[in-house]
Amino acid sequence: MSRLPGYWGSVLEVDLSTGRTGRREIPAADYEQFIGGRGLGMKLLWDLLPEPGVDPLGPDNPLLFMPGPFAGFPLPSASRTCVVTKSPITAPVASPHRHASTVSYSNMGGFIGPEIRFAGYDGILVRGRAAAPVYLYVDDDRVEIRDAGRFWGMGTDAFDRAFTEALGDRRFRTCYIGPAGENVVPYASVINTAARAAGRAGTGCVMGAKNLKAVAVRGSRQPDVAAHKRFLEALDKARAGFRGTPSTENWRRYGTGSALVASSDNGTQAVRNFREGTFEHIERIGGLAARRAVWQRDFACYACPLACKKAGRVADGPYPGLVHDGPEYETGTMLGANLLIGDLGGVQRAIWHADDLGLDIISVGGVIGFLMEAYERGCIDRDALDGLDLAWGGVDATVELLHRIAHREGVGDDAARGVRHLAGRMGHETAKFAIHSKGHGFAAWNVHVQPGYGVSYATSNRGACHLNGFTPDRQNGTALVDSVGVCLFARGGYAAGLVEQVLESISGRGWVDADYAAAGERVFNLEKCFNYREGFRRSDDSIPDRFFEEPLTVGPRKGAVVARDAWDRMMAEYYAKRDWDPATTRPADARLQALGLEFARVKLPA
Amino acid sequence: MSASEPSPGPLTALDLCGGVRADRRDFIRLAAWGGAGLAVGHFGARTLWAQGPSRQPVYAMILVDYNRCTGCRTCEAACAQFNHPVTVDGEEQRGLGNPSLSNIRVHAFNPDADVPVVCVMCRDNPCVAACPVEPDAEGRRALYRDPVLLTVRNDPSRCIACGACAEACRAHRVGAIIPNRETNRPERMCTLCGGDPQCVALCPYGALSYIKGGLDGRHYALPPERIAAELIARWYGPAQGGDVR
Ligand code: SF4
Ligand code: SF4
Ligand code: SF4
Ligand code: SF4
Repeated sequence: MSRLPGYWGSVLEVDLSTGRTGRREIPAADYEQFIGGRGLGMKLLWDLLPEPGVDPLGPDNPLLFMPGPFAGFPLPSASRTCVVTKSPITAPVASPHRHASTVSYSNMGGFIGPEIRFAGYDGILVRGRAAAPVYLYVDDDRVEIRDAGRFWGMGTDAFDRAFTEALGDRRFRTCYIGPAGENVVPYASVINTAARAAGRAGTGCVMGAKNLKAVAVRGSRQPDVAAHKRFLEALDKARAGFRGTPSTENWRRYGTGSALVASSDNGTQAVRNFREGTFEHIERIGGLAARRAVWQRDFACYACPLACKKAGRVADGPYPGLVHDGPEYETGTMLGANLLIGDLGGVQRAIWHADDLGLDIISVGGVIGFLMEAYERGCIDRDALDGLDLAWGGVDATVELLHRIAHREGVGDDAARGVRHLAGRMGHETAKFAIHSKGHGFAAWNVHVQPGYGVSYATSNRGACHLNGFTPDRQNGTALVDSVGVCLFARGGYAAGLVEQVLESISGRGWVDADYAAAGERVFNLEKCFNYREGFRRSDDSIPDRFFEEPLTVGPRKGAVVARDAWDRMMAEYYAKRDWDPATTRPADARLQALGLEFARVKLPA
Repeated sequence: MSASEPSPGPLTALDLCGGVRADRRDFIRLAAWGGAGLAVGHFGARTLWAQGPSRQPVYAMILVDYNRCTGCRTCEAACAQFNHPVTVDGEEQRGLGNPSLSNIRVHAFNPDADVPVVCVMCRDNPCVAACPVEPDAEGRRALYRDPVLLTVRNDPSRCIACGACAEACRAHRVGAIIPNRETNRPERMCTLCGGDPQCVALCPYGALSYIKGGLDGRHYALPPERIAAELIARWYGPAQGGDVR
């Protein structure tokens, strides 16, 4: 088989049930069509799951760690690793398939993606389920499934240190789950460097269901490129594009934390379980405050000039001495503004516990916000909360609940199943403020003022997602960036056409503009086909009633609400642009054929 | 200033080695005293340049400002790109930057501290002293100092691959030398890129400086674990760590 330059031509395949390890060859056409990362991961998922309804927690659900083709080269901010699997958290309103769920993908920065490529693989595919806790050890060609019994139960922070110690070399790059993943909490995260996370969509839950505590990778090799000189030219151009720009400066200074105050001022923040868009105490937990009182140092992912990661220490207040990252926009909002916690030390404390337990902070912040609102309204009482006084703004109660969720104790077991499950148990009117789409919680951007975020949430293939994009074009573009492996925060640093140019110099495959854009659309539509086959339909592309019925009551955008007719028009426009049936959301046959997705089309129900 | 606010000022091995050279002015004076002047790339907020007249060999080294390093490892790739060129279409080109070949290596710690490690050009070079190979007519062992740049070099034709040099550096200095996995011959000694250090040129954060000068005969070597412990104590305070419920 002819190998495409820039790729190794295979992924590492590990079956935890049998203990077998080996290489799985990837056809050159799959690289050309799906590129890598999220796209190639989706193609592999499709191939590995020929039928709908596979149990996401069962041994048949594959778990893929997918860097993109940029990983392994010193290109700026191109270190993302997309974790791809079948979601353990989403579900359609109705489906003939018992375990129906969407695709799941979630990507993380750091160093492990490049390291997978240095070790000689374009990705890692984990299948099966280990009988007892294990970790995967990869040192170039040496691949071992090793006992992880002594690590089971450890929080991610202590584990990160103990694991590095056990591996005996800091050149190993690792990722792992915490107690939440071990206990198969549907929104458990995969963590690396004790702070970076593939947080969303339940990837850590699937890892835990496989009894896989961690992955460790060390590599000494590097892929080649098709056109060396052109690659170097493009590399120099990319590096120069980030140098000294205001955007680079801002990322270094505040990371995503700069959005905390700005979003609140614009009425676009998730506040009080998405009831409001502005938080009166936002300045206490915003970027400026954090820079002053918490952040000590800025850290970067592999070859990244932005250093958006902020490591800090809480200086004073009730929790002095706590050392951890944050707040970022998402973590500071979901465990801050959304819970009305306006104390920076308290927010940091909640973030540390959630990361240490290996919980997706976006999801769990939504769950706790929902429960706080339910408690305030009297939909759930203190007894049902096992004695927790879950009043708005309570740091101790929040931390306690994080632990009960991760360990699935008492009310924590119900809370671990997400807001949709909780609303189902509590009764009908609570569904209005159970903030999710397809069972996946919303992220920290609120909808009233920016209904485009509603479209992003409603139409995302992994369930609610703020990174998805407001329009089909934007969504296709995001799918591309996630497939190449460039960080979304850095996409503006690459001049127009430069990503394609780099990709061409790496693989030697010529990309014309339309061809390149189609690749993003192809990835998005294959994900959609997967979901459609599972039983997801028009009624699954929805957002909760709250956004239509309860206008904002505070802040500069007081009164903002989404008009139903405007929403219906936006969605109709969306399906028309996508060329999907507005009644069922089924992609048009001709569109799928044009995208080269005939193989998926034939598997769709009529 | 870029990243940090308020700016913490430079923090280098000169500060950490007993705190003797905590002051930048001291450091510059010292370098001048060395007779050959000083060339500093991104040291602190200012760019300094002073070139002395002497034609004597000058001790030079890469100095890390830990307050600026973000652990991005661009330096590793830049080093490998320059020091491991490839020939493409009959033309020598920079390589693709495989970091496992780099002469500068960034060690990551938790709590977050990143410590780039590179040969610190010890005047007393215990690595060279440890080499058991008899000196040749020019007085060179299999490990020797380059006559022009004073970098540490290996003569593979005489090296017996005993690993004594790597062990000496690891035990007594920074652990810069890594024996080749197959041949066990010493590798990863900084070449100073022939006088134009690429790690300094390409570090996106201005965390590296190329300093030349006498440096009072001292070496500024600490193992990365010691440096990390010191950085963590400074940045995150004594009570660093997580939280209890
Ligand atoms: S390139 Fe600079 S900031 Fe990045 S790891 Fe090296 S010294 Fe640190
Ligand atoms: S740092 Fe190590 S290799 Fe460099 S001179 Fe000192 S002992 Fe020798
Ligand atoms: S490995 Fe070679 S250079 Fe190093 S001490 Fe032994 S003989 Fe000398
Ligand atoms: S000066 Fe050159 S050889 Fe030395 S560490 Fe820097 S890039 Fe590598």
